[in-house]
Amino acid sequence: MSAERHTASETGPAVRVKALESLLAEKGLIDQKALDLLVETYEQRIGPRNGAKVVARAWTDPVYKARLLRDASAAIAELGFSGVQGEDMMVLENTATVHNVVVCTLCSCYPWPILGLPPVWYKSAPYRSRAVIDPRGVLREFGLELPPEVEIRVWDTSAEVRYLVLPERPAGTDSMTEVQLEALVTRDSMIGVAKVSAPATRR
Amino acid sequence: MAVLKADMVPTVVRTGASTKHADQALPARFTHGDRVVARNMNPIGHTRLPRYVRGKQGVISHDHGVFVFPDTSAHGKGPKPQHVYNVRFDAGELWGPTADQSVSLHIDLWEDYLERP
Repeated sequence: MSAERHTASETGPAVRVKALESLLAEKGLIDQKALDLLVETYEQRIGPRNGAKVVARAWTDPVYKARLLRDASAAIAELGFSGVQGEDMMVLENTATVHNVVVCTLCSCYPWPILGLPPVWYKSAPYRSRAVIDPRGVLREFGLELPPEVEIRVWDTSAEVRYLVLPERPAGTDSMTEVQLEALVTRDSMIGVAKVSAPATRR
Repeated sequence: MAVLKADMVPTVVRTGASTKHADQALPARFTHGDRVVARNMNPIGHTRLPRYVRGKQGVISHDHGVFVFPDTSAHGKGPKPQHVYNVRFDAGELWGPTADQSVSLHIDLWEDYLERP
C-alpha cells in the first residue's frame, strides 16, 4: 500500500486510504516498509491454501479431526499454521443437519494465519448486518440453498477466538488423495457461505 | 507509542499477540447450560457487546477461558481479566416470532457483559 503501488485513477476509498497512509507516515505513526511487507506476506505467502490443508487432513485422518475439534489452535499449529489473528482458534464442523457460517458484525475479525486476509464482501456492512438476521437469504445469494430442516448456526466473531468452518467432504471423493482433496477446498466453504463440490459437479 | 517496523513484521506475524490471560485459573461465574442475559449496557467508550444482543436471553455454550477485557484495556484502565463465553441466542429471541426458527446465533461475550435472568 505504499505510494509506488497505487494506480493512476483512484476515487473514493482508494483516495482516502492514500491520504490516511500519507498523514500517518508523516506523523511517524506507521512505517510504510512494514506495510509493504505485511501486504506482500498476505498476498504471496499466507492464504486459504493453509486452511485447505487443515480441512483435507481432517477429512482423511479421523484422529487428527478429533484433535482439531477438541483443541483447534494446537492441531492447526501441528501443520505449521499459527500467528497473528489466529492465536486462539475454534473449528466448527458442518454436517448434513447443521450448517455453520461465520461473520464479524463489529468489524472484520478473520483467522488470518489459515485464510489470509478477508474478502471485501466479508468486511461490508450488508454482509455483517444481514448474516445474523437472514443467513438463509445471504447464503442463497451466494448460490447455496439449504433445506429448511437444516439448522443454521451463525457465529459472530466478537472477541478473541477466530473461527474456521470444517465443510462437509463431498460425496464421490473416496478415492482422492489428501493433496487432491486440498485442491477442492474453497475459501468460501471455510467461512461457511459455500459447500465444497466434488470435481464432476464443479462449475 | 510503539510503531511496527519492517524488521518486526515476520516475528509479529508468526507469534501473534494473544490477549489470553496468564491466569487461566480465575473462577468462572457461569458454566455450560446456564441461562444468561446480555446486559442492557450502553457505554460511551469502547465495548465489544453489539447492540442486537443487549437485553436478550441466551444460554452458555462454551467457556473460552480468561482474556483481557477490552472495555477497560482500550482506555488504559487495566486488563481486568475475565472469562469469555460463547453464548447461544435463538433467532426468535433476537428478532421476534416471525424469525427463522432453524437459526441460532453464537457470539463470544466477556463475563462483565452477562447477568443471570
